[in-house]
Amino acid sequence: MSMTSGINRTPLIGAIVGCALGIFVLQNGIGNQPTGKQYESISETLKNGNTRTVKKLKAGVASPAFQGISSSWQRDFNQGTVETQGLSPDQLLFALAGFREMIAGILWVRADSFFDSGNYDAILPIIRLVTVLDPKQIDVYATGMWHIGYNFTDEEQRSDRRYIPSALALGKEGARNNSLTYEMFFETGWMWYHKIDDDYSNAVKWFELAQERPDMIPARRNLITNAYERDGKVDKSLDTLFKLYQTAGKKAKEDAAFGNKQNRDTLENKLDTTLVRMVQRGWFAGKDGRPLTGYDVNPPFDTGFSAKVTVTEARVLRFEGTWNVLPVGTRIRAVLRDADFPNAKPAGMEWDFSNDVNLDPPRDKTFMQEQLFVRNQRFNKKVDMSKDPTMYPFTSKDYVIEFYYNPRSAPPHIQDKFSWNGEGFTDKNFLNTQVREGQRVMYTSVKISKDQLLRRGDWREKVPVIKTGNYLDKDGKAYNQADQVTIDLPSLRAN
Amino acid sequence: MFRPIASIAATTVGEAIRRKVLLIILLIGVLFLVVAPGLGMLSARSETTVLRGMMLGIIQLTSAVIAIVLTVYMIPNEIERRTIYTILSKPVQRWQFLVGKYFGAVSALLMMMTLMTSVLVFTFWLQQRDASAIPDLIKAPVMYFVQMSLLAAVAIFFSTFVSPLVNFFLSGGLYLLGSLFAPFFQTLQESQGTPPAAKVFAQLINTILPNFANYNIQNPIINPGQQIQNEGSYYLQVTVYGVLYIAGLLVAGTIVFDRREV
Repeated sequence: MSMTSGINRTPLIGAIVGCALGIFVLQNGIGNQPTGKQYESISETLKNGNTRTVKKLKAGVASPAFQGISSSWQRDFNQGTVETQGLSPDQLLFALAGFREMIAGILWVRADSFFDSGNYDAILPIIRLVTVLDPKQIDVYATGMWHIGYNFTDEEQRSDRRYIPSALALGKEGARNNSLTYEMFFETGWMWYHKIDDDYSNAVKWFELAQERPDMIPARRNLITNAYERDGKVDKSLDTLFKLYQTAGKKAKEDAAFGNKQNRDTLENKLDTTLVRMVQRGWFAGKDGRPLTGYDVNPPFDTGFSAKVTVTEARVLRFEGTWNVLPVGTRIRAVLRDADFPNAKPAGMEWDFSNDVNLDPPRDKTFMQEQLFVRNQRFNKKVDMSKDPTMYPFTSKDYVIEFYYNPRSAPPHIQDKFSWNGEGFTDKNFLNTQVREGQRVMYTSVKISKDQLLRRGDWREKVPVIKTGNYLDKDGKAYNQADQVTIDLPSLRAN
Repeated sequence: MFRPIASIAATTVGEAIRRKVLLIILLIGVLFLVVAPGLGMLSARSETTVLRGMMLGIIQLTSAVIAIVLTVYMIPNEIERRTIYTILSKPVQRWQFLVGKYFGAVSALLMMMTLMTSVLVFTFWLQQRDASAIPDLIKAPVMYFVQMSLLAAVAIFFSTFVSPLVNFFLSGGLYLLGSLFAPFFQTLQESQGTPPAAKVFAQLINTILPNFANYNIQNPIINPGQQIQNEGSYYLQVTVYGVLYIAGLLVAGTIVFDRREV
């Protein structure tokens, strides 16, 4: 049996055309539709103290007569632009499909199990994929950045610094994708302040961007004053401290909650301490052009740095040396890197050179950085780079060993003598005012060859020793051993 | 005119809730919803984010599978079992049969999604003890329901002229494409290197394709802190969009089904 039915199709086709027209208008709107880039995020503080962020059209962009669903969705609900670098086609398909957040969640749970088992290498690609799938997951950016920056460079286990630019790039991408909240700006600033522990102007830059976001919590706002100090902007630090103290005082008056009062008291204490330090360190006297006689920073203290580096075995170095500062708290930076390491600079590198998150650092390059802890005016540390050749590949012909000390990174009790910019600091042989503009630091470097580091070729039977001319052994005798070959570290003056 | 539609819809709901395959899919979805808090707890720091993302994703994925499986067999099964002759020999128009089947499918979908949403709310409350977040959380399943109704309309339209297996992949593929194209469209439109002709073509595709991404509103719910402009108006617009698209598909399906010899 076969059956057909004859209906009048004309009104049906008319209905389809009507629906199509309605769909077109609803989907695309009427008038010029703004693109995602023509919006800016505006943060607003509500009366109840909470903050909210709204995306609004930038000044000069004409508002459409009727905004279609497509534009509204892109503005308010889209997960963000997909960063496609480093993604395989199947990952890209997942990224563009509708289940981004769920897949991101599953992957993040998986990453957590790798954290627990210590399988750090497996976590990196997952972090990248999760941030691509859901670029609004700030915690993944923050945790990922910490993981790449710290777990891969922990001094106790690994001293490889090649991942730091990747961690910074991840922080920058997180900040770009989550510009409405302070978190990624703060985290990136913290990476500069605490991990890189140098180039503090970058920490200041990121902390300032974080301060601009109204959702930043008060206790974190205070940290910028420390960053200003370490950047040598002591007056600005004092001004900021005072403003923060005033705001905190006002807030504590309005709402006498314990946290508000505690923040006010902390700032008051910090303000007092900073003022005392500025006086004692001769900061005001220096600004007024008065002599620094009688101040703690005068005369500058000679740290008497000396060092000896022995290549005890292939890829194993022993760093020994002297530092005349008796109180504990000094850490001297030692760097061993390829002589032609890309973007290298004295005792560091241009950490911020890339905006792309590259989780595969240069495999044929080495950048080892250690902190030499001084106790009883001496340091002595063995650095074993033989266990992980992927971190320390030693494929180049020439290497550089650098020693660096920056008073800006010193703890306050040592800064009380050295001051913020090293005004009370000197070193007869290794004071350097060139490598960090406007700062007095200790710096010296020496070249070492691959054969020496790997104890091969001519160096198979001989022990390479690098030392400063003023190095004295523990018993006070000048270092001299017949079976070892000594390479002198250069100094400013004759040894 | 509406009594036959209501009768067919009621019968369809009855058939749907007796179909074991659908109940198994539903059971799996509910089980995942119940164990989802356990997965959230495993995650460092972002427990709530993972929990919300996971639960909403489970509801969306399960509903999509149910919507497709439910509708792809509807018309072909009736033809294969020859029950359609009994129905069409009565004073029932073909369009009434099609619309009745569709409403039956959507009603069954509504029941199943309501069950999953109830489990979501209960589990979330049990885990988080935060009732204030629940109204926001429910917005997503409501929009998913409109999305799945649209998907069911797509599948029922195809079921008037293709076999169930082909329909399964066709509807599933269209769902993926309709979800995928919106972010891709934005990238194309904002890229300076895209030729104008490609932009026009992309605009055309973006209009013709059922835009399932419109209903993916979960991101601000999962990652809160963003204020959505004219939220109510947006939801109304996408619902009207869905209703228009569904109406268009049902009318087109009626024309095709009407021409078909059974």
